[in-house]
Order: sequence, then C-alpha cells, then structure tokens
Amino acid sequence: MIPSDHFVRFYNEVFKSLDRKGRVHLVDYWHELGRLQVTELGDRFKTGGLEAAYEYWQRIFLEENCEGEIKLNGDVLELRMHKCPSLSKAMDNDSGAHGLYCDHCMAWVEPVMAHAGLHAVFDMESRTEPHCVMRVTRDKKKAEEFAKHAKLPSTPYIPASLPPR
Amino acid sequence: MSTPLRYQDTGEVHLDFHRTTNGTIAYLRQKHGAEFLDDVFRHTAQDVYRSIWDDLKQGDPEQLVTHWTYFTEREKGVYKIEREGNEICFIVLQCPATTYLRNRGIVVDPEFRRQTITMNQAWSEGTPFEISTKITGEDAYVQTIRRVKL
Repeated sequence: MIPSDHFVRFYNEVFKSLDRKGRVHLVDYWHELGRLQVTELGDRFKTGGLEAAYEYWQRIFLEENCEGEIKLNGDVLELRMHKCPSLSKAMDNDSGAHGLYCDHCMAWVEPVMAHAGLHAVFDMESRTEPHCVMRVTRDKKKAEEFAKHAKLPSTPYIPASLPPR
Repeated sequence: MSTPLRYQDTGEVHLDFHRTTNGTIAYLRQKHGAEFLDDVFRHTAQDVYRSIWDDLKQGDPEQLVTHWTYFTEREKGVYKIEREGNEICFIVLQCPATTYLRNRGIVVDPEFRRQTITMNQAWSEGTPFEISTKITGEDAYVQTIRRVKL
C-alpha cells in the first residue's frame, strides 16, 4: 500500500512517466484529474458557490497540513499558501520533483470552476518554491484583473505557457 | 521505532488520497496498460524510496518493515508481524486503503493491489531478498520478506 501521506510522491512519478512518454499524455491525464474532481466537487460548488469552495478548502488546509491563510471576502475567495505540503513533499523526495508539478493544481481546479460558474486565478509565483496564491470569484472581469497582476499565472491548458520538458 | 525512516509524516492523515490513487491506477491501466503502470510503481519503489531499497541491497530489511508498520498504524490498519528463521511476514488483516474505498462505496480497481505487488517485486531486485505479496482477502494480504542469499 502506498500510504496516503505518500500519494503526492507517487503522483509526481506518474507526471514524470507520462511526460517522458509525451507532453500530450500528461495533459490528457490532467484532463482526467479535472473530470474526476468535477464528479467529486462540481455540483457542490455549483450549488454552494464560493461558500462551498471555502468550506472545502478549509477542510483540505487542515487534513493536508497546509500552512497558509484562506479568506472569503465578499465575492473573492483567496487561498494564500505559505508552505504547500504537496510541492514540499514532491521536493523532499529522493526522486526529485517534476518540473510542472504545480500545474496539476490548476489543471483540476479550472474544470471544476467552469462547471460551477466560478473563475479561478492561480498565481504559482514559482514552480520551485512551495508558495502560491489562488483567487476565486464569480466575476469574470475581476478574475481577468487578478490574472494581469499574477507573477506566474498557471494556465496548464495553454501549451505555450508550459516550459519544455 | 528503532530504524529511522526517510519519510516519516506526522499530523493529520488525508485518507482520501486512496481514492485518487485508485482513480489514477484505473486511468493508467486502461489508457497506457499494465506495463506502464508497473513502470511507475518500479520508479516509486526504487527512486522515491531509494533509502529503503539501498538498505535492502545492503542486506537490511528493517527500514521496510518499519515503513510498513509506521504507516499501517498511522492509518489505523490492523496487522501483525511474524518472524521466523529467514522470513519476516507482515500480515495485513485490515488494509486501511481498501477499507476506506469500500466504506465510501468506491469500486476498488481490479489492479489496485498491483501497487503493493509490483513495489515489493521492485524492492527485491538486486537484493538478497525475495519480497512477495499474497492477497488473502478483500482487505487482507501478507507481505513476506525472505532472505534467499547471504
């Protein structure tokens, strides 16, 4: 059994193996992650809106031992991760982290938000440091404004935005 | 715990990662085949858990036994260890992963246990040990480390 604590390191090997086979296979897998997460969260977020997303990430912050802040201010849900446990584990790993590790996050968040009628902007800030900011809003224009100010916006389904393997 | 572990997580346990592992195994098996899936498990065993594999190559199985023990206890699984002669049997009576999936009504992928079987095979490569996995029930299996070379 791969311990649930170590899923992230297994996941990281999956990303590497798929990317070695071809970038298209990695992106296809991200689509699958999105599909699975839409099944799990899509209707919950669609019905419950930002409040449901806030509750979900509050629980995740606790269960996954995240270090950061999560705030719901009016029409904006902001997750500020000071130490992402996921990338931290992928990096604290004798096998090393996959170069696009962070991108898988937006790869599942984007389809969930699209299903729920919400807009997420994920600023990775860096692909090699475990901190980031994600903002979710109902207002598309507000999201576009957030994206303009992002240091390293995550757009996993735009191939040109991804560094080569 | 006498043998130090390379990875020794503490804090909350997010058991839902077993759902994601199950989904990932199903996807890779269907889309890329069993050989590809095994290759990922082999990399996980030998690269991620390099420290365990290095110890095994040196003839020391204790980090692997401690790893199984620590994480099975952490996830509240039920197990016992039997040592006799050149064999160590880690007997899982209640696997936390399959139990979690079934309790949530999630269909366990037919190749879900391949993670355990293939990783044990990969850990034994180039070592004086044979590490086998025998599925003994819906949530039960036995992992046996047998020294086959001095």
